[in-house]
Amino acid sequence: MATAGIRRAGLALTILGLAGLVLVYWLSFFWVSTEMTQGVAQRIFYVHVPAAWTSFLAFGLAALTSGMYLWLRDDRLDRAAVCAAEGGMVFATIMLTTGPLWGKIAWGTFWTWEPRLTFTLLMWFIFLGYFMVRSSTEDPEKGKRFAAVVAIVGALDIPFIHLSVVWFRSLHPQPVVLKPEGPTLPGDMLTLLLTSLTVFTVLFFGLFLLRYALEGLRSRVELSARATV
Amino acid sequence: MPRLRRAMRTLLPMALLAVAAASAAAQDMGLDPPTELARQSLRPYWHVFIAYTIAILLVAAWAGSIAKRLADVEKRLGE
Repeated sequence: MATAGIRRAGLALTILGLAGLVLVYWLSFFWVSTEMTQGVAQRIFYVHVPAAWTSFLAFGLAALTSGMYLWLRDDRLDRAAVCAAEGGMVFATIMLTTGPLWGKIAWGTFWTWEPRLTFTLLMWFIFLGYFMVRSSTEDPEKGKRFAAVVAIVGALDIPFIHLSVVWFRSLHPQPVVLKPEGPTLPGDMLTLLLTSLTVFTVLFFGLFLLRYALEGLRSRVELSARATV
Repeated sequence: MPRLRRAMRTLLPMALLAVAAASAAAQDMGLDPPTELARQSLRPYWHVFIAYTIAILLVAAWAGSIAKRLADVEKRLGE
């Protein structure tokens, strides 16, 4: 797809995602029922969990495209990886800031060094390192290769984050949707959660495509600059 | 990319306004009453509003930064 087409698709998905986000907020305030024990604070769930899912998706995509870049050495794959990693950082930051706000109400503390929170913070720092490694080498190609390895290592943390609440004693709640016996959420909460997951995913892909179009234009600028030298 | 920037400048404030209006209306209308336990031990509203605001602000900041960088690159390409 040409850059203009990617931009149009990205813009359309972003607008759809922003409209969906307004709908999710509306449903969260006016439609979904209030959870019995945690009260209104449980509504943070409809932002926190979709942000977590989207960050895992983005970091997973970054790792996949990084792995393929190491194999095929196609610059488009590296561009996709950096765009996905940037999106992953945004959504992981949402997850890591909304979680403590909920934790303060539910657990009485903003932060505790329990396994899931610690693995998640580790993943955030690994991907912060991804951007530092990219720009730390004199040879950009070497930086891209090193960063690709960091992205793969960072994504290996995702299964540990998911399973840490099963493997270890943890303050963090167990999964309520992705479990062998099926979701245990009430119907309206599950509906809103799935709506929010869809909206966050659409928003991520919209912004990812716009960011990818930006990287495409940047590489064109670099090529034309090299041609004039 | 002037069209994208224009669209972002129009849509983002509209989205923020809609969210702010929803938050204000929610405070006015009140929600389903929490249980007695929740009422006694929880101070939840401002945490929820801050969490929702952080989410939309970070997404808006990313969108805005992409739009700005796109405009800058387009300008360089045009030179």
